[in-house]
Amino acid sequence: MVEFSPQVAETIIRAAALLGAGFAMIAGIGPGVGQGYAAGKAVESVARDPEARGNIITTMLLGQAVAESTGIYSLVIAIVLIFTI
Amino acid sequence: MKEIQDPVKMQKEIIKKTYLISLFPIISSLIAGSFDVFLGFIFGLIISTLLLRIKYNNIRRALDMNMEKAEKFIRNRYFIEYALYFIVLFTSARNTRINFLAAAVGLFMMKFTVVLWSVIDLFKDTFQSKIDEYK
Repeated sequence: MVEFSPQVAETIIRAAALLGAGFAMIAGIGPGVGQGYAAGKAVESVARDPEARGNIITTMLLGQAVAESTGIYSLVIAIVLIFTI
Repeated sequence: MKEIQDPVKMQKEIIKKTYLISLFPIISSLIAGSFDVFLGFIFGLIISTLLLRIKYNNIRRALDMNMEKAEKFIRNRYFIEYALYFIVLFTSARNTRINFLAAAVGLFMMKFTVVLWSVIDLFKDTFQSKIDEYK
């Protein structure tokens, strides 16, 4: 079995943590794409029924606020990986 | 929640409910004497309130555009907001006077409130339909 000196092991752990943080940040892309798609559909809905504008804005606001949380989760994980390890 | 049709009224209601729920962790952190948790929570909460307001303005602007432009606009704005979230979390992670986890929870508080409110509405509807069925 290969044994690493403490410095090398620490470097490997640090590199893995930074790599993990990078991978975690990929999760931030999804909500952006989803929100954009929802916005496009909302525009289509308003064009079809202009009277429902208020209702559409309300639904979209709530939806976007909640959809964003997955992106922030990934951000929190990434920052924890960067700063605590 | 679904009874409120006006977006401005809805926004005010969300903020009111979030602040009401947030009183519990704020008061407990003050009683416990952990000022860094208090500061972090307030920091996260204020930023999330401001970002909700920005989001509302963005949505209003996006609905006046055409479909492709709105899609692109909201996507770009999301990444700007994401950068703001990063700055907030980065600042709280670097600054020893601000608790990082409290700031993260403060940022999430508005989302938790919306989800909690929806769940309560769902339960209310279910019980109401059961009662109506029983009658």
